[in-house]
Amino acid sequence: MKVAIIDYGSGNLRSVAKSFERAAVDSGLNAQIAVTGDPGEVAKADRIVLPGVGAFADCKAGLESVDGLHDALTEAVINKARPFFGICVGMQLMADVGREFGNTEGLGWIKGEVTALSPSDPGLKIPHMGWNDLRLVGEHTLFDGIKAGEHAYFVHSYQFVPTNADDVWAQVEYGGPVTAAAGRDNVFGTQFHPEKSQALGLHIIANFLKWKP
Amino acid sequence: MIFFPAIDLKDGQCVRLLRGEMDQATVFNDSPGNQAKAFVDEGCEWIHVVDLNGAFEGKPVNADAVDAILSEAKVPVELGGGIRDMDTIKFWLDRGVRRVILGTIALRDPDFVVEACHQFHGQIAVGVDAKDGFVAVEGWAEVSDISALELARKFEDVGVAAIIFTDIARDGLMQGPNIETTLDLARAISTPVIASGGVSSMDDLKALRDQGVDVLEGVISGRAIYDGAINVRDAVDLLKVPGMQEAGL
Repeated sequence: MKVAIIDYGSGNLRSVAKSFERAAVDSGLNAQIAVTGDPGEVAKADRIVLPGVGAFADCKAGLESVDGLHDALTEAVINKARPFFGICVGMQLMADVGREFGNTEGLGWIKGEVTALSPSDPGLKIPHMGWNDLRLVGEHTLFDGIKAGEHAYFVHSYQFVPTNADDVWAQVEYGGPVTAAAGRDNVFGTQFHPEKSQALGLHIIANFLKWKP
Repeated sequence: MIFFPAIDLKDGQCVRLLRGEMDQATVFNDSPGNQAKAFVDEGCEWIHVVDLNGAFEGKPVNADAVDAILSEAKVPVELGGGIRDMDTIKFWLDRGVRRVILGTIALRDPDFVVEACHQFHGQIAVGVDAKDGFVAVEGWAEVSDISALELARKFEDVGVAAIIFTDIARDGLMQGPNIETTLDLARAISTPVIASGGVSSMDDLKALRDQGVDVLEGVISGRAIYDGAINVRDAVDLLKVPGMQEAGL
């Protein structure tokens, strides 16, 4: 199984790759983890991971700046329906539109928009940074074996708000509900960083590596 | 992990300073271009460059030497020293530097880093130089009252390409790096962390690799290479982790 972690100059690629390698080894899976920005590799991969840190607009511009990468993603994720995992802004990019630094068109895989966090309690700081408890919504294969209340590591100022509530699989409370995981069909993403979320993160990654959507 | 051989530039020459003091400079090579070529010939994947005069003067000083390095280096180059405005960032990136390292300005004006990451996504790194856990600035002549972790955290969600962490109490002293402090920082944030300062032997590199393989992006070393304690090819091989393709190459 070939897993492509997409390198478009965003996110902690090394740390993400290490956590995927570890999760694969721990689950006895034979996975080849490659950090790559090569559209040919991405189009051929069995599973796709898209990290991302920074502003939505900048990440989207970064993705588009690599010739053929967007098309390769469409080929692998939409045409071939390969399992896809987005992390942080990589998850937000699945949306139709991002509202950071003006409006930016997303990949449009899940209807909805990425908007600024606005906690009801003015004492809560932006960015939302640190550990927070997951509230699971519905049952998704990627959360098999995860209990409500387990905590994950967040760093973000914007959140993905899917139009269809059925596309939300986990939330956290931060002066109101904040989307922690969203997914539909073969695409899934977490606002939190599974690579920084210790055992919980490794568990979700292992579930992803075994996922047959 | 990536091994970054360092070239510190002072008056157009490759030097190393002791504890960051400009009058404690030792010249190792008077041709920065040749030095870069030697590193690349030994298999390095990146080169780390510091414009020392620039750091003290707050503007680019060694542009000719950097041009010489860029024309010889077939690998990406990161550069820091005196970068405090957008024009200077653009000045270096336009010349072919892959990413720039912001130091003093990151502490003085964190919003500048946010804006720089917006304008130059993936090409901004932040240098966090610390002494006893607190950030040092102005070419290490001053120590602030902000902790290294606090500063690094400010940039966690803005898309900084890397935090380059230097323990200045150790730099150039050949006493070994402060592994514990470096790894604590790397574990605490999601931004890639590159260790710098005090790496003086292959044993130091091995210790950093063994303990930091899951969390560290790479290691910078300068003086130990010039002293002969670290061979670039051996260092690159040692830090390479089998089975994983490195990022950004």
